[in-house]
Amino acid sequence: MRNSTSERRKAEPAAERLNPKIRNPFEEFKTFTGEKRDLPLDRIVQSTEEVMDRIRKGYEKLLEEEAKELVWMVQYNTIIKAYEVAEKYIKEIDYSAEDIEDFCFALENTQRVPYLIPGPAGIYISALCNYAKEEEIVLKLSELKTEINLIGFRLPSGKRLAIEGDTGDFTGIGLEGGELVVEGNAKNWTGAGMRGGVIWVKKNIGLHTGEWMMGGEIRVGGRIRSLGNIVEGKVFERDKLVYPGKARIPNLYY
Amino acid sequence: MLSFSVSSIERVEGVARDGYQKQVMEIYQFISDHLYFNRPDLEVKGERFNSAILFSLLTGLQEGKELIIGEPGLGKTTSAEFVCSLVYQFPLGVIWGSEVSGHPEQTEEKIIGRPDLGKLNRGEEDVVWTNFSQIPVKIVDEINRLPETKQSMILDGVDRGNWEYLNEMIINEEYCLFATSNYQDGGTSTIIAPLMDRFDLMVESRYPGANLSFLIGKGRGKDRILRHPKYERDLHRILKSKIPYLKKISKMEEVCNAFGAYVQETLGVKPLQRAERGRIRAEMASLDMDLDASAFTRMLLAECSFCERYGQKRVVERCEEGCHYTGYLCHDIKNCASNRLPVSIKQYAQGLAWLLEDSEIDIEHVQSVLPYTLSHRIQWREEILSQKERAKRDDPFPIFLSKEAVRAVAQRYREQSEHLKDALAVGSKIFQGESLEPLEGDHPLYVEIKKDVHSRRI
Repeated sequence: MRNSTSERRKAEPAAERLNPKIRNPFEEFKTFTGEKRDLPLDRIVQSTEEVMDRIRKGYEKLLEEEAKELVWMVQYNTIIKAYEVAEKYIKEIDYSAEDIEDFCFALENTQRVPYLIPGPAGIYISALCNYAKEEEIVLKLSELKTEINLIGFRLPSGKRLAIEGDTGDFTGIGLEGGELVVEGNAKNWTGAGMRGGVIWVKKNIGLHTGEWMMGGEIRVGGRIRSLGNIVEGKVFERDKLVYPGKARIPNLYY
Repeated sequence: MLSFSVSSIERVEGVARDGYQKQVMEIYQFISDHLYFNRPDLEVKGERFNSAILFSLLTGLQEGKELIIGEPGLGKTTSAEFVCSLVYQFPLGVIWGSEVSGHPEQTEEKIIGRPDLGKLNRGEEDVVWTNFSQIPVKIVDEINRLPETKQSMILDGVDRGNWEYLNEMIINEEYCLFATSNYQDGGTSTIIAPLMDRFDLMVESRYPGANLSFLIGKGRGKDRILRHPKYERDLHRILKSKIPYLKKISKMEEVCNAFGAYVQETLGVKPLQRAERGRIRAEMASLDMDLDASAFTRMLLAECSFCERYGQKRVVERCEEGCHYTGYLCHDIKNCASNRLPVSIKQYAQGLAWLLEDSEIDIEHVQSVLPYTLSHRIQWREEILSQKERAKRDDPFPIFLSKEAVRAVAQRYREQSEHLKDALAVGSKIFQGESLEPLEGDHPLYVEIKKDVHSRRI
């Protein structure tokens, strides 16, 4: 008898194995349909996440197209091509300067962005800065472990990009009249091929500074390891004009 | 005297507007203007009240049991007497004649009733009931001067209105109880926990401030205002008579109505007749808690009764250190909330909502009455008492601690009200047969919901 009762109980679905004699102590809440409060912060977080997803996808597409083997060589044509691909995806995204900074940090989080390849990443960040709505962009990257290359590529006239922290190689190359401020150090080939604008590096700068620069100014608060072959423009080291002037031997350490 | 004005309580929404709220507010106003001078110390929905008068009025209307504490001579007994006189239409002389005073020599015969000695001589057994046991207004003065052993004598009467002597019993169909208590001194005893728990709420009759106190000193004769020697004699005659108790009630009612008419004519304030009190109680009883008030009350009850380790709070078991629920009230208190607590909360919140002409009991009504219904029932841990003893405050220590506790629970409720209501709604759905799992959350109430759901499953 006991067995048959327990078997019957087992056969009944979970919802029916309830004691109907016990009064529902939550009776008054039976019609409560939790109205989800729409918190402004939730909305902000959600929209930020959506934008970040789109930015991340654009970067992944760039890698798919330009760094198929996860290898990317810095050459004139590869930079131009990568920038064109980046432009294509970025133009479709509505983002702000904060999103660019978030993306820089997301690059170091392998769960969010699987591959950080400094070249394409720098090109992509540069494109993001160039197409941002804001005229002045401040990226607080001092906590970033990786120095990003190619940042400030083709920064157009009327834009000001300030980087808090150090930058990698090819900082501000092909600058097109914008103002690039690096609060820390910059590595080699800074300002290469720039056509106009100003690059401020508050600390030291590496080799080949201003290689093939066609105009504009590079101002360095610390020391310049070496100048590149400069065509046109000015380079200052601690407010002292070093190009044009008594030229140092290009690309030699001093 | 006070900033409160009767016209300010005009409201559009709310319970049936038959004018009883206005009548009760006029009584409140009359007492605060002429009989019991004090400052407002409680604000509910923009209206400012003196807690002693407000809760005494609600006690009279809701047949509650109120403990009034305070320093000697600050109007504990007189405030109760004035309220009772105007709510129940009894002249002050009758109320004085039916009061029980707490002292060590107090006996059952003086409180409840005694044998009829004349009849006893003839071999018959009959009881002469005291005025205290017969009239609906019961005032026990200085209850904490009753020794602990004698406090048990009034437990049943206080709780149910049943008064037993020899083999006879009278049952008060309508009654309210006020007890006053001085702060501890050489002649006082501790009020035993079962008696304490039977009080619905505790208020302090406060010092009114030097200026109002000065006015009280100047004006004399307040006691004469609600006296009427003829009606007092009539009522005493009825109370002493040997007619059945129910007949006494109807005869007393006639005299009380006559006294009520006299008060209305001479003082311009209309006391409440028995039928009116009945209608008011029916209106109050029709008011229910809205979902927030209900969820908030459940949250507080959970914190006052929950113990993860031992299943529930018990005064003999000590809360362990390192418990996950250390941040909640259950960690700070020793005893468990009784089932009388939610009854008191609802009773007084109903009264307050009715008085303010609201259509439902909302969280503000509950928050307003909670500290007063909780303060005498909670036994705090010694560590908490010593931590907060010297905190700057305006209330007596137990009420201050309860206000702090209610504030903390209200803060927790604000943070998780939606999730908590969701959890309760899911609980309801499970009870209705839906195959759901109870919601998780970081509060004892979520555990209680799970326990209820589990008990529902066979």
